[in-house]
Amino acid sequence: MSDAENLVEVGPASEFEDGDAEIVQVGRAEVGVIRAEGEFYAIRNQCPHDGGPVCKGNVQKELVGEFKGTGKRVDQQYSDTDIISCPWHGWSFELETGIHIGDDRIRVPTYDVVVDDGIVYVDSGD
Amino acid sequence: MIDAEAETVVDCDWHYQDSFKEVAEYMPEPWHTKYKNSFWEDSGVTQALSSFFPTSTGDRQNYGKVLREHSNYPEEPEDPERVTEGMDFLDIDVSLQISHLILAMGGVTADDERVQAFTKGYIEYMLEEVLDPDEGVYGLAPMPYGDVEASLDILERVEDEEAYVGACFVTAGASPPLGNRKYDPIYERCEEMDFPVVYHTGGSGLDEYVRAGYQEMIETHTLGFLESNMSQIVSVACQGVPEKYPDLDIVFMESGVTYIPGLVSRLDEEYLKRPEEAPLLDTRPSEYITDFYFGTQPLEVSARNDLLELCFDMIGTDRLLYASDYPHWDFDSPSIINELPMLDDDERRAILGGNALEVFEI
Ligand code: FES
Repeated sequence: MSDAENLVEVGPASEFEDGDAEIVQVGRAEVGVIRAEGEFYAIRNQCPHDGGPVCKGNVQKELVGEFKGTGKRVDQQYSDTDIISCPWHGWSFELETGIHIGDDRIRVPTYDVVVDDGIVYVDSGD
Repeated sequence: MIDAEAETVVDCDWHYQDSFKEVAEYMPEPWHTKYKNSFWEDSGVTQALSSFFPTSTGDRQNYGKVLREHSNYPEEPEDPERVTEGMDFLDIDVSLQISHLILAMGGVTADDERVQAFTKGYIEYMLEEVLDPDEGVYGLAPMPYGDVEASLDILERVEDEEAYVGACFVTAGASPPLGNRKYDPIYERCEEMDFPVVYHTGGSGLDEYVRAGYQEMIETHTLGFLESNMSQIVSVACQGVPEKYPDLDIVFMESGVTYIPGLVSRLDEEYLKRPEEAPLLDTRPSEYITDFYFGTQPLEVSARNDLLELCFDMIGTDRLLYASDYPHWDFDSPSIINELPMLDDDERRAILGGNALEVFEI
């Protein structure tokens, strides 16, 4: 369980629509709290590529391809994974884990979000 | 430094200077008769080449400066004995023969059967008269990849022939590029047969291939091979051939090594921005590409040592295969590898022969 003093208040959950992002300061880091399909996520607002504001980017489903057999076209579908794309050059990360969708060695820090009594908090992890 | 003469040296890119006169004897009809009736035996190999396949321009002998024996296209049909003579000259134990004439096939855009007829005849001719595993003379079977069925027929034909150890895609001009799903059945079959796929660039129509209007061979010869390899590497990697056929050994020939770090770095940079456009890849394209094998010729020995060292490091010395490109004018002898200061002796042995013996299961 998160310790109450680690929690940084973001605001009432009811004020978030899907796709909304709210930026808060967590320690020295800017963190974006994002709502996607009713779930809250928090991810550092600093792109490992060139420092871009990741949290200002689009949230969408990840497009994946599957090899369906010799000579067949690669089958492309949107998966269930939500990704957020840095608006500067398009580096994209799994919303839940912060892992870059093309190279899992690249990662944006993510944070736990707690909703308590209708209020959204980020757990600073301190 | 090792004594290269005492080591097993495998040359992965030797050009048998085949002649139409000889190969036509083995071609299927009606091509057999067409060629026999065309008086090509009177006009020498050079003339026949330009009559049959589109050609490149430029004097490969550097306008009289390259005077080595056998360096020019022979006036007479190639004599199989010259292969063993040349191997002695370079101290090579095993050579993989690649058709010289087929190098121009990339310029054939007509949907006739010229390439298929040639490759079928070539396979039989080489088996009958030239290839000889006891003497270390092996062949790569040229794929008329524009016709997938014909390519599969050729694979079927050579499957049980010890003398053929891989398939050769002459890549210049291949369109669509060779990552396209159209070619999947060839890759699938090669993987099943344990037959490495060797991509070999060609000088076909070089002057017009990269861009029309170049004036000298120094321009087109620098760029043509390079552009061809780069475009096929990007296609093969991005379309996921190594993911679809993970046991397929992929070999790229004849552009030296210094282009690879630049290409893969650039491609990785694109990939991190748009990985969903290469959806079969699990990680950066460079990780797949540095799993490919690369022929070393023409090695850029004039490059800065630290650059060459970096290239060897990125590609991996277990991925490099010595190739001479003999008897072409810009051939490399084994000493080019043996004298590289940044290699240790085991690495020299691996590049000169060990890697190729494994890949081609010789
Ligand atoms: S700064 Fe984020 S993609 Fe470039």
